[in-house]
Amino acid sequence: MIPSDTEQSRLLVHAYSDGELDPINALEIERRIAADPRLAVEYRQVETFKQLLRERLPREELPHGLQARIEAAVGMNAPSQPSWRSLAASIAVTAMVASGATWVVRGPEADDAIRDGVVAGHTRSLMASQPVDVISSDQHTVKPWFNGRIPESPRVVDLSKHDFPLVGGRIDVIGRKPVPTLVYRHRSHLISLTAVPTPSPALPSHLADGYNVLRWTDDGVSYWAISDLSLPELTTFEQLFRSNAPDQ
Amino acid sequence: MAKDADEARFRNVVLPHLEEAYTLARWITRNRGDADDVVQEASVRAFRAIRSFSGGNARAWVLTIVRNTAYTWLKKNRSPVLVQVEDFEAIEHAQALAGNPEVETPESLLIAENDAVRLEAAISALPDPFRETLILRDVQGLDYREIASITGVPIGTVMSRLARGRSRLIADLRGKEQ
Repeated sequence: MIPSDTEQSRLLVHAYSDGELDPINALEIERRIAADPRLAVEYRQVETFKQLLRERLPREELPHGLQARIEAAVGMNAPSQPSWRSLAASIAVTAMVASGATWVVRGPEADDAIRDGVVAGHTRSLMASQPVDVISSDQHTVKPWFNGRIPESPRVVDLSKHDFPLVGGRIDVIGRKPVPTLVYRHRSHLISLTAVPTPSPALPSHLADGYNVLRWTDDGVSYWAISDLSLPELTTFEQLFRSNAPDQ
Repeated sequence: MAKDADEARFRNVVLPHLEEAYTLARWITRNRGDADDVVQEASVRAFRAIRSFSGGNARAWVLTIVRNTAYTWLKKNRSPVLVQVEDFEAIEHAQALAGNPEVETPESLLIAENDAVRLEAAISALPDPFRETLILRDVQGLDYREIASITGVPIGTVMSRLARGRSRLIADLRGKEQ
């Protein structure tokens, strides 16, 4: 069992807040937090502090031209397309989860910023060596992976029997906030499903940047679907996602 | 051609992590112009070493190179600023002992949160080992094992630096609002 002195308990409160403790030690720390007001304060402060950093610290943008200078410095020519990009350049679905009040984004310009961020995140993932940080077709592996990395793990639905198997998950950054993204596969297409906790009014479907954009609302949750698929195919994905309950 | 293979590898392993590389370099050097230089130099090093990357965690591999390049770069280009870690820990420890649960509510931290400049200044004032650990965890979201591997210390040290660094920042942010 873990040592019981105060300093060690403080360290473990931080590790607990970061999701780094195994269940036995997590239970023990939960018990100590409940019993010791000083540890309870420490825990609340750590949580508040981490939220503050997520929300207030400006994200560092890569300086314009730096990547080009690096490519020149190592003697590379014009960038070529990653080989699997043609396979994956396909469909991005974004779920706007309206329930979480942790991150508040307001106004139409915020919606635009989120849409830009989602498209950028999807595009960036297509340029990366792999589209996910955790590779697993098991929702019970993917969902816990998000715990400790972000405040709210996303709704995970098993659609494998409908030919939408889960590929894995990753963390994207929308604005300055880390958000969970699930990646599904449909035939040769990858689907990025990003959950952004924000109040978002239902808006009509429209075309954006050459993608079809589909929006719907379920149980106080607004969803965005962005895809180069036809509207009927995208609608199929929408219907599947809405009609299959998450298995937790 | 071997160079084509190296380039493809570099494109897949290093380029996707440039923004994170820049973020880490910016916080280690505390200067965006320096970070630009560090990332470029680290990228050249990574390109030369690309065949030694054996697969696995590309992000941690890249960030390790960036971190080491940043410290080498600072040693070469900046006069060293001596940091008294013992003093820092003594101050932090005293603050912890003086803690009063009745007064120290998270809400008092929230009041102070709207000044990003002050937040950046407080982070910049942290000694290197605490600052890099905090950035890797709370800004870049790496787990303890990855941070231990990147910074070359045991996980227990990561845990302790993180807790102390955060406590110091919390104390700073709360202290200055009054």
